[in-house]
Amino acid sequence: MRRHIPATACGIGLVFLAAFPLVYGASDYDYIMHLWITAFFYAILASSWSLLAGYAGQFSFGHMAFMALGAYTTGLFNNYFYLTSAATGTCFEIPLGSWYFVVLDPIGVSASPYSCLDAARDAWTVDVTITKPSLWFGILFGILVGGLFGWLIGRLVLRLRAAYLALFTLGFSEILRAILSAEIGVTRGQAGLELDPLFPDGVSILGASFDATDKLPTYYVMFALLLACIALMMRLERSRFGLFVRSLREDEDAAAALGVHTVRYKLYTFVVTSMIAAAAGAVQAHYIGIITPNILIILQMALVVAMAVVGGLESIVAAAVGGVVVYFLLEFLRNDFTIGAVSIDMTIWRLVFFGAIVMLTLRFQRNGLLYAFIMWCTRAGVAQETVAKRAAAQQPPGKE
Amino acid sequence: MIDLHVNGVHKHFGGLHALKGVTFRVEGAELIGLIGPNGAGKTTLTNVLDGAIKPSTGTVYLNGARIDHLPPYLVAKAGIGRTFQVTRAFRRMTVLENLYVPALALNPGKSRKHFHAQAMEILEFLTIDHLRNEYGRALSGGQQKLLELGRLLMLDPDIVILDEPFAGVHPRLMEVMYRYIHRVNEAGKAIILISHQMESIFTLCRRLLVLNYGDLIADGDPETVKSDPAVIEAYLGEEEDQSGTGTARLEAPGHA
Repeated sequence: MRRHIPATACGIGLVFLAAFPLVYGASDYDYIMHLWITAFFYAILASSWSLLAGYAGQFSFGHMAFMALGAYTTGLFNNYFYLTSAATGTCFEIPLGSWYFVVLDPIGVSASPYSCLDAARDAWTVDVTITKPSLWFGILFGILVGGLFGWLIGRLVLRLRAAYLALFTLGFSEILRAILSAEIGVTRGQAGLELDPLFPDGVSILGASFDATDKLPTYYVMFALLLACIALMMRLERSRFGLFVRSLREDEDAAAALGVHTVRYKLYTFVVTSMIAAAAGAVQAHYIGIITPNILIILQMALVVAMAVVGGLESIVAAAVGGVVVYFLLEFLRNDFTIGAVSIDMTIWRLVFFGAIVMLTLRFQRNGLLYAFIMWCTRAGVAQETVAKRAAAQQPPGKE
Repeated sequence: MIDLHVNGVHKHFGGLHALKGVTFRVEGAELIGLIGPNGAGKTTLTNVLDGAIKPSTGTVYLNGARIDHLPPYLVAKAGIGRTFQVTRAFRRMTVLENLYVPALALNPGKSRKHFHAQAMEILEFLTIDHLRNEYGRALSGGQQKLLELGRLLMLDPDIVILDEPFAGVHPRLMEVMYRYIHRVNEAGKAIILISHQMESIFTLCRRLLVLNYGDLIADGDPETVKSDPAVIEAYLGEEEDQSGTGTARLEAPGHA
């Protein structure tokens, strides 16, 4: 009976989350929807990091860098690439049938830059159609770039373990942040790169129209992305892939001696988790509308680690729930409260309380709060089975 | 027929010459003891055989194919399986999952279900079937050693290298290990047994290889090896040998 609790809870949770935007009607609708969308974003990051660190034992601190790669790739795609029906003669361009794929010059940080496309527009004497490629191509491109860098970093860290791996990936993340900050002409640095919303022209769902700023369509996009990522990772976890990556986490040499191609499965893990992080970053970037190099500061990475640890590092679902719970907890901790004559200003103390919760979890429930519960449910019969079988084996023959 | 040919294998670690031109051949289902004092190079030789380290010079052929340049996972697939001196059960995986790892690694198209019956038969044989759903970490040290042996049965290699399987194991579990060794050997597999327990070595093995400071100083049947002066000296030193106690440490059980 106990065994079915996690699946039942997941089912109820899914129905609740699927129905929430349709039934919630309070005045803070937009704020609550924003919290859910961002919580889903962190849930994707925490669960994919749990696959990388909890299952495969690769304690990478570069996960947010892959997220940022996805975000910046789609951001650059969204800002620099256009399709025109005539040659510009001023921009770098590639003919594509009757169209031209145009790449703008670096946009810099001036408020209204005069681009090569603007120059072409002034020079054209006939009507020319100018359009942006669908931003979904940018998102797809971001996912591929995330996977490519995941493969590259995976290759570089093949022989690194534990603290060395963590430091290496942290170094990669910091280098990327420095490049994004320094290349102001291209990325606009700390001024931030602006992106179109996910549905710039609005969208119609089942007869209801939503404009570009409505949160409901983005909620379902991020929710669907979360479910797709979890479904993919759970499928992988239950396949030979899951068995092999866990074996290499336990003992790489022993796994190799038993015929496991450890290099291949390490790389697979890096590529898959990097692509998932990049996907989350790309979608979130379009939702927020602006990205800066601060999205990959070490504090953000620490937050994702804390989410996975509080939920449960060795369970994809537990880590995802940890992401949602911790994000909402951080928001809840914004509320000031009073104990007797003492008034607590949570704008100052919020992170102190949060840090204390993480420390208490690590001290008393190292495997995470939710993972322990899942284990309690799913492994309920194992100890009894072991004892019963041993008792039966020790019983004298003929005695029932 | 199984044919392992180790030819002139040297291994240098910086200034340390760990293996000095080791040459021997294993033909058929032999049961070989590999002995030597601590630091003799037994584990280094094992690591060379399973591909964990590459020899500085020399070659290793298994059934006519050169394997000394292959990574460990391909050596395992080629037909060499090993256990480790310090037990390396996958501690956060169940006993059954431990057994599925080599089975699935060797058989890409098959699922766990396909190997369940075989895994259960092996666990029953090893007397740890009641622990099948327990995590590796819940097993005692001896049971973890049995689990490692079970994984090798799933791998089913031509040559099984057992590195100190009897160290710290209860006598009842040692009986299981003895039965395991006979089962594997009778199935036509060669076994290289590394152990400091001379009683077990002399009971089980029909051929001994003796390493000392990286040199293979003896290769022959136990009776010949135990009376070899170089072996006695390697184990006990020249002075003790001259005192007449040397052979006693290398006597077969019942003959001491």
